[in-house]
Amino acid sequence: MSTTVGRSLGPYRLPVIVIAILASLLLIVPFLILVATSWTSGSFILFPPEGFSLRWYGEVLGDRRWMGAFWLSVWESALATLIATILGVAGAIGLTRVRSRAAGRWIRTLFIVPIALPPIAYAVGLYGVNLELGFLRGTLVTLVIGHALVALPYVFVIVSGGIARIDPALRPAAWTLGARWPLILWKIELPALLPYVLSGALFAFIVVFDEVVLAVFLLPPGTQTLPLKMLSAASEAFSPELTAASTLVSLLAIVVLALVPLLTRRRGRRTVPRRRARPVPAVTEGVPE
Amino acid sequence: MSSSTIATGARMAPVAQRRTLGVSRAELRWLMWPPLLFFVVALGLPMVALVMQSLEGGGAAYPGMFSVPAFLGSLGRTLLMALVTMVLTSILGAVYGLALVASPAWLRIVLLAALMLSLWTSVMVRSFGWMLMELPKGAIYWFLGLFGLADEPLEIYQTTFGMYPAMIAVMLPFAVLPIMSALQSIDQEQLKAASVFGAGPLLTFRTVTWPQMLPSIISGAVLVFVMALGFYVTPLLLGGPSNMTISGVINSQLKTANRPDLGAAMSILLVGATILIYLIADRLFRVSEKWG
Repeated sequence: MSTTVGRSLGPYRLPVIVIAILASLLLIVPFLILVATSWTSGSFILFPPEGFSLRWYGEVLGDRRWMGAFWLSVWESALATLIATILGVAGAIGLTRVRSRAAGRWIRTLFIVPIALPPIAYAVGLYGVNLELGFLRGTLVTLVIGHALVALPYVFVIVSGGIARIDPALRPAAWTLGARWPLILWKIELPALLPYVLSGALFAFIVVFDEVVLAVFLLPPGTQTLPLKMLSAASEAFSPELTAASTLVSLLAIVVLALVPLLTRRRGRRTVPRRRARPVPAVTEGVPE
Repeated sequence: MSSSTIATGARMAPVAQRRTLGVSRAELRWLMWPPLLFFVVALGLPMVALVMQSLEGGGAAYPGMFSVPAFLGSLGRTLLMALVTMVLTSILGAVYGLALVASPAWLRIVLLAALMLSLWTSVMVRSFGWMLMELPKGAIYWFLGLFGLADEPLEIYQTTFGMYPAMIAVMLPFAVLPIMSALQSIDQEQLKAASVFGAGPLLTFRTVTWPQMLPSIISGAVLVFVMALGFYVTPLLLGGPSNMTISGVINSQLKTANRPDLGAAMSILLVGATILIYLIADRLFRVSEKWG
C-alpha cells in the first residue's frame, strides 16, 4: 500500500532512501561500537577491541554494587510503572467520557505535558518537596512519584490509541442490556485494551529504568540506581566494565520489548478494527500490533 | 443501576447518542479524578516548592541569577542548541519518514528496526556510544585511518560540533514516528489521481504529500525543541564543560555553588518557558492530538 507514496516520488525516491540509510547508521553504529568494545580482553576501551572475551560481562554480573544498583532500579521502576499504568489507563478511558470538548483538550494536554517537562527543573522541585516535608527525606517516595509522572504520558498515549480501535457499539449495547460501568469496564473495555496496557506499561518501565536526572537529586545518600551508577562510572573512568553493563541493559530492554508482540498477538487480533484504519498512534508503532 | 445514572443517561441521550450514552457521574469521578489528583500532587507540589525555594533570599534570586556569569551564556547556548537540533532533526526526520513508506519491504524493516532500537536503548547508553566514536583515538579515527585519512588524533570529542550528531540521533525517533503515521494514512487515491492527471513527482509532493506531512513535522519539531531545552545527559557527556546548558548551570548552582535559591529561580524560568512554548504550540498546531 505504501509503495504508492514511493512511486509518487519518482526519481527523487533514491536520494531519499540513501539519506535515510545514512541516518539509520547514525542510530545503529554507535551502539554496535559500544557492544564491540565490551568484548575486549584487555583492560582499556579500544576500538577495534583487543581479542575477544566475555570477561567484563562476568565482572559486572559478579559485582555486588552493579547488581545492587540493578535490582534497586528494577523494583523502583516497577513501582513507578504500576502507578503510571493505573492512572494512565484510568485517564485515557476517563477522557472519552468527558463531554466538554474544551475540557477534553486541556486534559489531554495535561497528560502529555510531562514529556516536555525539563527533568532537571522538575528534579529540583521534587528535591524542594523533600526538604519541606522532612519525613520524606531518606525515602524513595518522591523519586517513585516523579518517575510515575514521567512515565504517565507514554501509557496514556498508547492506551488512547487503543481506545480508538474498540468497536464503539459495544459499550451502548452492554449498557442497554443493563451492565453498569464497572462491569462494562471490566468485561469489555479492559480486555480489549489489554495489549495496549501491556505495551504502554513496558514502554513506561523502559523509560523510567533509563531516567537518571531525577535519581541524581532524589536518591538517598549511599543508594544508586543503575543509570546513576553508570553515569558516575563514566565520569570516573571509561572502562570496558561500563560498556559491558550498557550492553546488558540494552539487551534487557530489547528482549523485554520484543516480548510484547509475542504476548499480545493472539489478543490483538480480536479487537475489532474500525472501518478505515485510524493512523497508528506514533509511539506505539511496532510495539503492540 | 443507580437512579442518577438513569437520570443522566436519559437527559443526555437525545443530545449526543454516541459516547455519552450511559455515562454516569460516578464513572467520571472514579476514572478521571485519581489521575487529576495525582497531577496536583506530583506536578503541583514540586512547582510550589520551586517557588518557595526561589523566594528564600527575599526574591533576590530573580535579578541575582542574571549576574551569575555562566547563566546568560548558557541561556543563549541552550536556545541555539535546541533550535539547531530541532531544525536538523526535523529535516532528517521528514526524509526518514518518507523513506519508511517509500522503500521496499525489507529495507523498511531495517529502517524501522534502527529507529526502534534507538528508541528502546537508554539515552545514556547511546551517548556512551557516541563518546566511543568521537574520542581522540575512537572509532571515527580508526575508520578514517583505514583510508589513511587520519594522521593525528581527532579533536571532536567535547566540542560543540561533536555534540550535534548525538543529539540528533537521540531525538530522531520523536520526529520520525509522527511523520510516519501521517504518511501511512495518506489517501492512496489522491496520489493515484495526481499521477493520472499528469502531475510530476515534485508537483505531487508539493500538493498532496507535503500538506499532509506538515502538521506532523511541526508537532515533532515542537516536541524535539522543548525536550532539547531540558537536555542534560547528552550535552554533559559530549559537549563538555565549555558547552554547559541551562540544566548544567542549575545543577552546579545546587551541587557546587550551594545557591539553591538561584537554582530554583532558573528552574522556574526553564519550566515556565518550556511549558509556555508547548502550550502555545499545542493551541496553534494541536500537538497533543497528534499523539494518540
